[in-house]
Amino acid sequence: MAFTLELAGVTKAYDEFVAVDHLSFNIPEGEIFGLLGPNGAGKTSSIRMMIGITVPDSGAIHIFGQPLTRRLLDRVGYLPEERGLYKKMKIIENLVFLAQLKGISVPEAKRRAANWLERLDLGRWGNSKVEELSKGMQQKVQFIAAVIHEPDFMILDEPFSGLDPASSMVLKDALLDLKKQGKTILFSTHRMDTVERLCDRICLVNQGRSVLLGGLREIRASYGRSSVQLEYEGELPLLHNPALVASSNDFGNYVELRLAPGADPQHLLQVAMRTAKIRKFEMVEPSLEEIFIDTVESTKAVTHA
Amino acid sequence: MRNVLLIMRREYLVRVRTKAFLIFTVLLPLLIGAVVVLPNKLMMQSTGTRHVVIVSADAELANSIKAELSAISAPAEDEAMPADSSPGTKKAPKAADFEVSVETAPSEQLRQRLTTQVRHGSIDGFAWVDPNAVITRKGTYYSRNGSDFVEAAQVSRALRFALSERQLAGHGFSAAEAKTLLGPVDVDTVHIDKQGANKSNGMGAFFLPFLLLLAIYMTVLIYGLYVMRSVIEEKSSRVVEVLLGSVTPIELMAGKIIGVGAVGLTQIAIWAAGGILLGSGAVAMIGDTMKDAHVGNTVLILFPVFFILGYATYACLYAAIGAIVNSDDEAQQLQFPVTLPLILCMVFAAAIIRDPNTSLAFWLSMFPLTSPIIMFVRVSQDMPPVWQIALSIAISLVSLYGLIWLTSRIYRVGILMYGKRPTLPEILRWIRYT
Repeated sequence: MAFTLELAGVTKAYDEFVAVDHLSFNIPEGEIFGLLGPNGAGKTSSIRMMIGITVPDSGAIHIFGQPLTRRLLDRVGYLPEERGLYKKMKIIENLVFLAQLKGISVPEAKRRAANWLERLDLGRWGNSKVEELSKGMQQKVQFIAAVIHEPDFMILDEPFSGLDPASSMVLKDALLDLKKQGKTILFSTHRMDTVERLCDRICLVNQGRSVLLGGLREIRASYGRSSVQLEYEGELPLLHNPALVASSNDFGNYVELRLAPGADPQHLLQVAMRTAKIRKFEMVEPSLEEIFIDTVESTKAVTHA
Repeated sequence: MRNVLLIMRREYLVRVRTKAFLIFTVLLPLLIGAVVVLPNKLMMQSTGTRHVVIVSADAELANSIKAELSAISAPAEDEAMPADSSPGTKKAPKAADFEVSVETAPSEQLRQRLTTQVRHGSIDGFAWVDPNAVITRKGTYYSRNGSDFVEAAQVSRALRFALSERQLAGHGFSAAEAKTLLGPVDVDTVHIDKQGANKSNGMGAFFLPFLLLLAIYMTVLIYGLYVMRSVIEEKSSRVVEVLLGSVTPIELMAGKIIGVGAVGLTQIAIWAAGGILLGSGAVAMIGDTMKDAHVGNTVLILFPVFFILGYATYACLYAAIGAIVNSDDEAQQLQFPVTLPLILCMVFAAAIIRDPNTSLAFWLSMFPLTSPIIMFVRVSQDMPPVWQIALSIAISLVSLYGLIWLTSRIYRVGILMYGKRPTLPEILRWIRYT
């Protein structure tokens, strides 16, 4: 299998603080890959190394099967988490300038920018300055800047932040379209719902380390139908019983919980019925959010032990 | 290299298109011009064509005075008021400055009539010259506005010349000989330095270096600060993250510094071109203060050289500051220590212009943070030995090389650091990062 991105033992430390600790994963060509993790987990530090802004202290990064070089970066698109555009410049000037830096000629850049603006419902804003646009519109312009040079590999940091549902739809369609063209996409986000719907594979990082890696379907399946969704009225003290519940995410009248190893779901239901009125009881594969919280909590426990 | 050019081009175009650029380009020369020229100009204000009547029974004398007054229209021959010889002023053509009529029949009625005419403004004044004025050397000038001493001085001068010519003629001098005798004497202040004699005029010798100093100081400071603001803008708007996906920090910093510097050079070129176009006009405007001030070709060539050295030095420092801070406010505090040597240049400048060969001047013209400006002041004032100029430039270049290395390492880390302003030890650690 051809890999678009390969990280092998990548480590980066700032003074004593280890931001990225022996991170390794591969992204096969044509996949959408989710890089997940809580704030400060080392996602941005990892991405900065992937686009050559910083150099790893140790480990190797390969892009398109070759060691990372500047020249290869012309085939990579990057959408930073925060808007990065010249506020006083016109939209079209911003896009043309950034495309030029990726080696696109001016007329070609103009043509593509116009197409993309049209497609993302920004057709009449081309000659406006960035500062005149709403945050959501700026985010769309930023997205265009990341894809205008038709990169084979796109690194998108929180691409949906600040977008209204309609714009999110448009952007999601654009992404799936790019995937159909065989492009590889890396997402960095902590919005699990988008990851669940879009990603083929994920890597969950915490404290600079990869704590969970693999295909989304396999990961969820490996947890089995060991999760329970409960709708209830009343109290559920059993949530704090480690013999029954490994972890839980309680919303007050709805709870997602993972059974403790060896616990019997029937027994759990019986215990629950003693203290609360149960409206719904379902055994499911855990949601990604659950897996995320669970994994982050357990790695924290390990490091603190 | 292509990336440096692209960044440079953007930086250049964005800045040249701003109103600030236009305003500064136009305003600074106007401001300097106003400071230098205006007081002069106000003193020498010509009030347009003046209609003057010469009254004397001696027709020959009267015509002689008339001829002298008309001659003032021609370019200044001696200490004549330079403002009136300026072809650049928008007043009526100089040839018509004095419109002189002659009356050869003095009488009390004539005096009454002319007085009335002066009062009503149909003439500006009349000179009453007795025939024995040749001996008494006295005349009377009647005018509406006695405070216009320039006009009175011109009439007095014309009268003096006419009378002297007459007396010289009485001693057997021909008209041509009389003209030579009465002609101006050129007194040049000759300024002796190690390279030989240089003609210069006291005021001009002070003013010109000062103007050039002001120009180099302002451009270095202002364009250095532009670099800083541009770095802060890219950092705070996070554009820098996008850019660094395409270019290296050193390319970004180089493109920015060169681009902004090119704007500075453009501005200087516009000023220089404007100066040449206005040419004689500008010189005349500045008047005799400047007419003897010489600008050697060496000085003209060295101006951009020292501008580039000074600008590059400070641009690197300001770029590093821009990378360290998060906002303009934070920058305000940090930029002071960097701006201090520049301000010191201005503080010492006056002393150095007066005496460009002290050891203070020497050392300041070697120290890299002051040398571009101070050495340029010395060059424009009193050409120092070539080895000193060469040494100063060499020190500048070497220190610039080190400075680029140092600041680019701070820059490359700083532009990606947000949040708390780093401490000095932290910044020093940045330099060691790979």
